[in-house]
Parts: sequence; C-alpha cells; structure tokens
Amino acid sequence: MLMALKDWSIFLIPLLITVGLLYGMLFWTFYVSVSNWYGTAPNYQFAGFKWYKLMFSMDRFWTDFENNLKWLLIGVLPTLFVALLIAYLLELSNRKKLEFYIRTLILYPSAMSFIVTGTIWSWMYQPDRGVINTILDGIGLDVFKSRFTTDPKTATYWLIVIFIWQFLGLAVIILQSSFRSSELQEIIESALVDGASRMRILFQIIVPNIRGGMLILASLLLISALKVFDIVYIVTFGGPGYSTDVLAFFMFIATFQQHLVALGAGLSIIIFLMAFVIVVPYTIYAFRRWFA
Amino acid sequence: MKRFAVLLVLGLLLAGLVSARELIIFHWWTAGGEREAADAMFKALHEIFPDIEVIENPVAGGGGVSHRVVLQSRLAAGIPPDTWQTLGGAELKSYVDGGYLVPLDDLYKQLGYYSVIPKPLANAVTIGGHPYTVPLNMHIQNILYYNKKLFDELGLEPPKSYDELIDVLKKIKAAKPNMSPLGIGTKEKWEAAFVFDSILLEVGGPEYYVKLYKGLIDVKNDPVFKEALEKLKALIPYMYPYHSSLTWDESCGLVVSGDSAMVLMGTWAIGYFKSRGWEPGVDFGAVTFPQVPERILLFHPDTYGLAKNAPHPDACRDWLMVVASPKLQIPTDVIQGGLFARLDIDPKNFPDPIRQELQEYVRTHPDKLILDQHGSIAPFSFTQAYWDAIAAFLVEPDVNKTINNVSMLFTIYNVKEEAAWYQWP
Repeated sequence: MLMALKDWSIFLIPLLITVGLLYGMLFWTFYVSVSNWYGTAPNYQFAGFKWYKLMFSMDRFWTDFENNLKWLLIGVLPTLFVALLIAYLLELSNRKKLEFYIRTLILYPSAMSFIVTGTIWSWMYQPDRGVINTILDGIGLDVFKSRFTTDPKTATYWLIVIFIWQFLGLAVIILQSSFRSSELQEIIESALVDGASRMRILFQIIVPNIRGGMLILASLLLISALKVFDIVYIVTFGGPGYSTDVLAFFMFIATFQQHLVALGAGLSIIIFLMAFVIVVPYTIYAFRRWFA
Repeated sequence: MKRFAVLLVLGLLLAGLVSARELIIFHWWTAGGEREAADAMFKALHEIFPDIEVIENPVAGGGGVSHRVVLQSRLAAGIPPDTWQTLGGAELKSYVDGGYLVPLDDLYKQLGYYSVIPKPLANAVTIGGHPYTVPLNMHIQNILYYNKKLFDELGLEPPKSYDELIDVLKKIKAAKPNMSPLGIGTKEKWEAAFVFDSILLEVGGPEYYVKLYKGLIDVKNDPVFKEALEKLKALIPYMYPYHSSLTWDESCGLVVSGDSAMVLMGTWAIGYFKSRGWEPGVDFGAVTFPQVPERILLFHPDTYGLAKNAPHPDACRDWLMVVASPKLQIPTDVIQGGLFARLDIDPKNFPDPIRQELQEYVRTHPDKLILDQHGSIAPFSFTQAYWDAIAAFLVEPDVNKTINNVSMLFTIYNVKEEAAWYQWP
C-alpha cells in the first residue's frame, strides 16, 4: 500500500505542480483583469468589469476579434486541405527519392522561426522594391501586382499566407504518419483490388480513418492561429493603422506600452476563452476514445 | 614560485583596497551606433570613478521594447536595478506614480543642475515639485531633412511653413514625377504623429499645442484640429505611398536612395545619414519645421534616476553626478545624436553644422522647447492609441471619423487629469 502511494506520487506531484501553476496563474490573470491596475505599480483594488466594458466599447477590439476569426478560418482550413492533398500525392508516388526531397523542402519553413521568415516575407512583400512585384513586372503580369501588407483591406490575408506556408510541412508530416497504420494500408489495398478510384479512396477511406490525426492537426493549427503574434509584430506591427492587429498583439501593447495591465489581462482571458472553445471538441473526442 | 606567491598576495591586497563597487543599470542603447554611445558613457564613468563596476542589463533580452517588459516585471516584483534609462515626461511620470524613484532635490542643489539646463527640460524631469532624474541629452523631433543636391539642382529653398512645404512638394513632383517627394515610414506609428505635430504647431501655435496634449481642448468642436487634419490630408498625395511597411530609418533611406526628397525626423537621423555616407551640409541639409508663427523645438530627453531601495545607492549617486557632467555628455551626445542637456557646453563640440546651430538656438532661446511625442505631455496609454489613430488617418483619411476617435481617446484615457503635471513655459 505504502509502495503504491510512493509510485503514485512520482506522477502525481509533478502533475499537481503543473496544474496548480497553470490554473493559479489563470485565476490570477482573471483577478488582475477585474482589478484597477494601470500604470507601472500593481493596484489590486477591485474594479468590477470596468476594463471589459472599455474593451468591448473599443473599435480596435472588434477589429482584432474579426482578424482573429479570419486567422482561424483562413489559416486552418486551406492548410488542412492542401496538406492532405500533398501528403496523399507523396504517398502515391513510386519515386521514393523524389518524395524524400520534396518532403524536406516543404518541411524547411517549419524549422525556421517566425522572426526570420516574417522578415524575409516582408522584404518580398515590399510593393515598390519587393521581389514578388518585381517578378510580376518582369513577366508582364502587372495586373496582379498588389500593395500586399500596405493595403488595410487585404493586409491580414497576406499575413495568413505566411502562416500557411510555414505550417504546411508540419501538417504534411503529421498526416503522412497517420496514413501508415497497417490496418489502413490493408483497407486501401482491398479497395484498390475492388477497383476504387484514387480520389474515392482519399475521401471515403483515408479521411474517415485518420480522424485522430486530423483532429490533432486541426487543434494544433487552430491554437497556433489563435495565439499568432510574431508574424504581425514583425511584418506589419499591427498596421496600417490597426487593421492587421490581433488580440495577442493588442494584449502586448496594452500591457507593456500603454501600461493598462488590467486591460491586457482582460484580453488574455478573452484569448483563453477562445482557445477553450476550440480545444473542447478535441478533448471530448479524446475522452470518448479512451473510455468507450 | 616564491615571486608568484608575493605577486598573488600583493594583487589580493590591491584588490581589497580598490574593491569594486557595483552599479546595476538598465538601458536600451544596445544596437548599432547607440552601443558606442553607451560605451562612451561608461568610459566617462570609469575615468572619474575607476572603482565602479557597471553591470548592464543583467536580464537577457533587455533591449528596446523588451527593456520595458523586463524592467516593469522587476519593478513590480520589488527587485529594481540601481538606475535605468527613461524618457522625461509621461514615461518618467509613470515610474514616479508607481513610487519607484527617489527624489533628487539634494543632488540638484549640490550640482546646481537647475541653473545649467533649460527650464522646459527641468520641467520635463520635475514631477510634483521634485526632480526625479538627471537628463543627459535632448532629442529634437521636428526637423525636416532634405536632399541638398536636389534642392540646389532645382533651385529650391528649404520650406519654413506649411504653404512653402506644399509649394516645394509641387515643384519636386513636377520636376521628378517618379518621386514621392515626402518620405515617411509609419510602421511604428509615431512617425505619423511627428508630421501632424508640425502642422498643429503652425496652425494652432505653441500654446495651443500644449493645451491640446494637456486635454484642455474640446477636439470634437475645435476648428484648429480639424484644419490641421485637412492640411495633413492634403500632404498624402506627396507622401511615399507604402509608408506603413517602413520603420523610421528605412524612411530616411528613401531620401538617400532618391525615392524621396525630404523626411521629417528627429536629431537621431543625423547619425543614420552619416552611416549611409551622407555628409551634413553637403549631401543633406536640415531645418526645423515649421518656423512660423514661432520657431519651436519639440524635444525629449534621455535620463537616469535613482531607484527606491536600490541595491547600491552610493555608486548610483556617483553615476548620476557623472551623467550631469560635461565629461559624459560631450562624448555621448556627439555619438548618439541629440543635443547637450547642459547649456554651458560649447556648441562647437558638435562635428556637424546642424547640431551646432540647434544647440546655439537652444542656448539663446531656452524657452522655445516643448515636450514632443516621445517625451509626451499626455499619458502613454493615450499617446499609443493616438499614434494609431493618426497613422490610420494617413491610410484612410476620414477627417470626421478621426476627430471622433481622437476625442474619445482624450476622454477614455483621462488626459486632462493625467497631464495636469506639465507646465509650460
């Protein structure tokens, strides 16, 4: 009995510390968000939902919220779909050497930090001397020239392109590895014998059978898209104006530049709630699998 | 072996005699030319107090914006450094309000520092009647840099007023249609407010300017603010169109590369132009803008104070004495780009004619200095949001929307109360 308790504690104590720290900090952030802390010195006087009220009355908050939704939708779905196609094509190819090269090539961006890729992309996006517009000019396709990130209406989409490019490789790897269960391979083989087309195999056999991998990938992408900060910070700094601003960036500005710590904490809580809504479906799915 | 032992003992004795005193300092001069300026500061300190050992930014990632992040968390946690770099004005006030700084009345008295620096500079570091930091320089915000060779070629005079500016812009545009005559980069937003400030100064005059940022103007029904916005709007066609992707140094780069003919930037741009191989007075010229109705210099200082509960208060007081001395200010300011805080330093110490002239002007007209966007009369919470509003205006020039927006910011951030500390002249 004593032994069993000792064994348990090896796992339990780190778990308790992690959970305690995580939820302790979370609660503390919430506490700060209903305090009256602005300026450099902590002020824990209770202020109710004053800062939330201010937040919801701000044009900037709603722009950010909308931008975050754009990131979630446009950053995740196309990545999933394109990654699925690429992974399938790589899987089908008989030339393993070529597959190896291509896989390495698309995995490269994931190995670099957003700070590096963001800087490079912002050079490429430069409307008057960037490489993209220069190439378009050179091959006579001026009509496709764009103002990219300097146009407040489309700037966010161009930022999302960077995100997709960077996460594609990782997505392909995760999907490819979930293709490779022996069960799935057997099903595919028998479908081939039955004369099913390649497309039908992909959507009616593979996709339903790799739900686990897809969910993990989707959750990973959703959370990365939700907490996006670095791309915005490096490429546009939230501009033009605050048209590419996102909640995480606003939180940073509010807390450390404007010294509105309570407002910053409130924004963190909003980000947390959004993450919560996203992660819940995955958690339910996982629990079902474990306890079914 | 014996000799070695003797040397060792002697060395230990010496080390004991001049046992180093530590000084923990946070500053953001970590990049490019500013690193050399920081080295010049510490060299001056070492010449006067060789026993003080400087410990810089002991937390990793202490440069620029992250400087404030690290500093703020250390202050809130009650483990302050001895001293840290802060701008005068609103940023300083936020530290004073937090109770993180010790008033320096005795040091100022001992050094007679109030009598050697301009009154507006003294006001920028004095909160509630007490001086809290020692300024070592003054940066001037409203300077118009121009391509001198191009101006000579087209026979143009540097503009002194808004109308002259428009006139010059038109002439350049006519002569060089591919050029965006007015260079600007608004990635960090404040650059937009710089241009707007100059227009406000001319349309409203200095008293108006101060009243506006003290929150004493009803922006919603104010004809001056509206007129200034209209005038800013009229400049947009002459501006570099993709300004939102450029930082301030890249916007100065537009002038060097020939994409633009002028740029409105602070004194720190002199160092940038020089680093690109441009000689002041030969390749580029500079005038303060505007010069009507008065020639006002918008400024902000870099300053150092003494932390409450500083671990080494004595060494820190010695450091502040050095900061106040010409021995530190001359080499540091010449490298870093601002003007001398002390008026009794000879302007001829500057290598370039631009700062020689500016320093001379400040010497004879110390009352013409007003805190700028970085020094900030209004609280930082307001200023940040205000920059965003003006930068957004340059992309989407909707006058009424911007007026409503700015007017709301004045109310939300309680500017009237928070800026009441500032006195000018």
